[in-house]
Amino acid sequence: MSSQKKEITITIDGKEIKTQWGKTILEVARENGIYIPTMCYLTKVEPIASCRMCVVNVEGVDGMILSCQEKAVDGAVINTNTADIWRERQKIMELYDVNHPLECGVCDKSGECELQNKTLEFEVDTQEFTAKDQHRPTQNWGFISYDPSLCIMCERCVRVCNEIVGDEALQISVGGYKSTIVNVKQDDDCMECGECMAVCPVGALVSTDFKYSSNAWELSPIPASCSHCSSHCQLYYEVKHESIDNPQEKIYRVTNEFEYSSLCGAGRFAFDFENRVNAKDKEAFNKAVDALKKAETIRFASVITNEEALLLQKISQISGAKLVCDDAYAYSQFIKAYSQTSGKRFYGSDLKSLSKSQMSIVLGTRLYDDAPMVKYHLATSVKREKAQVAYLHPIEDKRLQNLVTKFVKYEPGSEEGVVALLANILIDKSKLDEDAKKWLDNLDIGYISAESNVSEEELDEIKAMMWKKKSFTLIAGEDLYKHPKAKNIAKILGLIDRYSNFELLIIPPASNTMGVSLICDLSDKASGYTVGYNSVGDFVMSSLGDGDIDMPALNQQEGTFTTIDKRVVPTNPALGYNGYELLDIAREAFGLNYEYIIDLTSQLPEEKGFKNIAFDNLPDEFGIDGENKRGYLIDNSEVSSKLLPDDTDDIESFDGTIVYLCNDRGNFNPFTNKSKMFENRGELRGSKQFATAAKISDGDIVKFKVADIEFERVFSIDTSLKGTIALNPIYDIGLSSFAISSYRFNKAKIEKVGRSNE
Amino acid sequence: MSMEEFKDRNVGVQNYRMLDLEPNPETGMDKFKQVVKRSVKLELFTGLKVTFREMFNALFRGEMHTTKYPFEKLPISPRYRAIHEMKRLLESGHYRCIGCGLCEKICIANCIRMDTRYDENQRKEVSEYTINFGRCIFCGYCAEVCPELAIVHGGRYETASEQRASYSTFEDMLTPLDQLAQQSEYPGFGAVSADADEKIKKTPLAY
Ligand code: SF4
Ligand code: SF4
Ligand code: SF4
Ligand code: SF4
Ligand code: SF4
Ligand code: FES
Repeated sequence: MSSQKKEITITIDGKEIKTQWGKTILEVARENGIYIPTMCYLTKVEPIASCRMCVVNVEGVDGMILSCQEKAVDGAVINTNTADIWRERQKIMELYDVNHPLECGVCDKSGECELQNKTLEFEVDTQEFTAKDQHRPTQNWGFISYDPSLCIMCERCVRVCNEIVGDEALQISVGGYKSTIVNVKQDDDCMECGECMAVCPVGALVSTDFKYSSNAWELSPIPASCSHCSSHCQLYYEVKHESIDNPQEKIYRVTNEFEYSSLCGAGRFAFDFENRVNAKDKEAFNKAVDALKKAETIRFASVITNEEALLLQKISQISGAKLVCDDAYAYSQFIKAYSQTSGKRFYGSDLKSLSKSQMSIVLGTRLYDDAPMVKYHLATSVKREKAQVAYLHPIEDKRLQNLVTKFVKYEPGSEEGVVALLANILIDKSKLDEDAKKWLDNLDIGYISAESNVSEEELDEIKAMMWKKKSFTLIAGEDLYKHPKAKNIAKILGLIDRYSNFELLIIPPASNTMGVSLICDLSDKASGYTVGYNSVGDFVMSSLGDGDIDMPALNQQEGTFTTIDKRVVPTNPALGYNGYELLDIAREAFGLNYEYIIDLTSQLPEEKGFKNIAFDNLPDEFGIDGENKRGYLIDNSEVSSKLLPDDTDDIESFDGTIVYLCNDRGNFNPFTNKSKMFENRGELRGSKQFATAAKISDGDIVKFKVADIEFERVFSIDTSLKGTIALNPIYDIGLSSFAISSYRFNKAKIEKVGRSNE
Repeated sequence: MSMEEFKDRNVGVQNYRMLDLEPNPETGMDKFKQVVKRSVKLELFTGLKVTFREMFNALFRGEMHTTKYPFEKLPISPRYRAIHEMKRLLESGHYRCIGCGLCEKICIANCIRMDTRYDENQRKEVSEYTINFGRCIFCGYCAEVCPELAIVHGGRYETASEQRASYSTFEDMLTPLDQLAQQSEYPGFGAVSADADEKIKKTPLAY
């Protein structure tokens, strides 16, 4: 290990460079501003080494060396650009251009195409070679289209799909000039994230929706953060006027810094959730001012910026109204309880350390649907670190089969028991103090194991997975926060954090839950006259456009979000907004005289770890080595911890037909569901066994009530599911989707009311 | 270089000659006499003779020299850069424009705008195309950059309009389908040269 940090000196193109051992020649060159052309290289994955463009000469070494792959060694003298190398690279470009269709004129990639750029750079103006042309029709994979004749077989797409996304959907079908990329999961399991499309250097993989609608150079990229989930990934909304007849700006597509960061399908394709209004509605505004003045409760969704959350906090301090945010309340209580036993203000892990973790336990989340970025980083850990993954959940997820080493099924409702069982095997008992030891000894393992249906053999297997591993992560998810015993679960997790090698990652359930839970003093129940801001209430202010007054959506606002990495990241408005926003109402009602909402960025509470940095001074970039330099990290200070978990005596699990509230297929909430590519009428999906238990069949229209909401849905059988738990999405029920305070698993009486016509 | 010869402004030998004119009349009487003399001698008609001759020739002998604009227009050089035309493919009649957007990008007056989309035949369709002639400076860049010889400058030079901005749409500029046979190739800058046939090379894709 010590040699890793060894200082070395190398010479590139006559420039003497001091660096550390362990970096490739290309990395060192890039860090020092020396240009080496590449075609297949992608910073965020391991070197692909398929293009040979990056060749360099190392003095004393015969032949040319691939700089993207070769580590720099002490004393090496490297030349990156000799006449021979140039000729070699030109030859490579000539080969790439063989049979390449001359269709830049219509190609979506034109203007930002790496093949186009490098062909010009290396002065290839004729095609000297030829190969027999193959019939390779274009393919439509849903959101993505593939044109094999434009593909240069660089393998970037295959690599990201395996190493970053973890779907393993793309494969190479080898055959010289017949080679193509095949999508083996195009019908079911490919999550349609568009990562392959983003990294494709040519126009072979393009967005089906965007295709031919605009040239790359006409679009203006607006740097922003995705607002759909707590990862708040970096992205650019690319805008242009809608058409010749309509000068209004429209988002055409989303791109990102694909060299360094990634997006999921929702971020990339569900971008058109803006709320368009034509003019300021004075009448609605006056009503909103009155409503806010007399509100006893302000109920809101955590799909909000930090600044607006702070504005609500200020309003509540002036007017005395209670703030209610169902997701953030549950989450903040959970984190608070966790801090009491762990001694940390936040969990210690983040996405980057997850990707380096060698053993992970996933608990209480349907990870694939709840938190794609967590799944991506888990996949990276499996691919690069050969990480072992234990996935504990009541429902097995077929789509994660290739990543999960051991699936452990537990009874819904028994999470407290499962966490206690984990505590029993993970905690290093020698470190425990008396009281904690007593608590642990008090656990009735036999009883808990029987009630939660997790056998001791399974626990032993999990224990065995830790063998010889050095870094560990425990991922806790959304199922736990609204569990009736959430507090105790959190406390036990805190204990595990404190007395084991595991770092925790407690996934914030919705968009800016983390920010809201830090900024606002929340109450648990709404009472009296309630104003709903993207939530239900007597007066509703809605960014979906269905309330008493319209509000801008998050792609029309500026401000910051707090991410799962505990990072404060900036976002900018992609589209204008003609109506009133929250600040206008607050100004009128309470004299909160801020000119812009971002005046509040530097006022975010420092005692909670925020920093006094003005919005315009927030950085929004990545380092050349991929280091995330966006915004700033929140301070994670120690807090005092003394408490112990309560005794885990009665574990309540339920049986019969159970409905699990779960937004699937990358459709996170009503905002993603508003976008034209995602718009979906949710179905209740269950196994054959569920159908038998509920006495219904595929295509029936069923009625049921969970979390105080009446649902009427088409039931469909999903053969990848087992057991008597059905999945019920809540992205299509409007703002009430943000006002659910119940546990995600619910017993439900399913009643058949008809047949769907399809 | 010496600037001598440029500084010498005494260019050539002058051979001006004074005309042999009567002195200008000074007194009122002199002026009166001059008028009477000129009227009686019918000097006026000496001048008008040419006019009457040309009038006679034009009206009765068919030797008209005037172009009856706007009923008649003079032919204009084929390289003149006036209102744009959009050409069609001679075989299929389909418009040549492939929607590459290069003309829109290069236009220095920013007066071209186009909408494209993915059509039912999996092609890039130009769904609308306009040029704002109120802003076009007829620089010819668009015609020069077009890889398809689709947009060219035609000979229609009248650009007066009742509005400050005058737009032309795709339909206005496209060769009407019934006149496809009369569509002439643009001989100006960027057109295929006369010896194009000899210059053409076999593409390596022929096997
Ligand atoms: S992939 Fe690149 S080089 Fe190929 S047609 Fe498209 S723009 Fe041109
Ligand atoms: S589809 Fe694109 S990224 Fe994938 S191999 Fe082909 S050129 Fe490379
Ligand atoms: S939805 Fe979440 S994971 Fe997907 S792009 Fe947006 S922030 Fe990233
Ligand atoms: S002639 Fe010049 S100004 Fe006019 S449309 Fe073409 S490029 Fe634009
Ligand atoms: S440059 Fe030619 S082919 Fe390209 S969009 Fe303009 S008219 Fe069409
Ligand atoms: S960049 Fe090194 S082989 Fe492609």
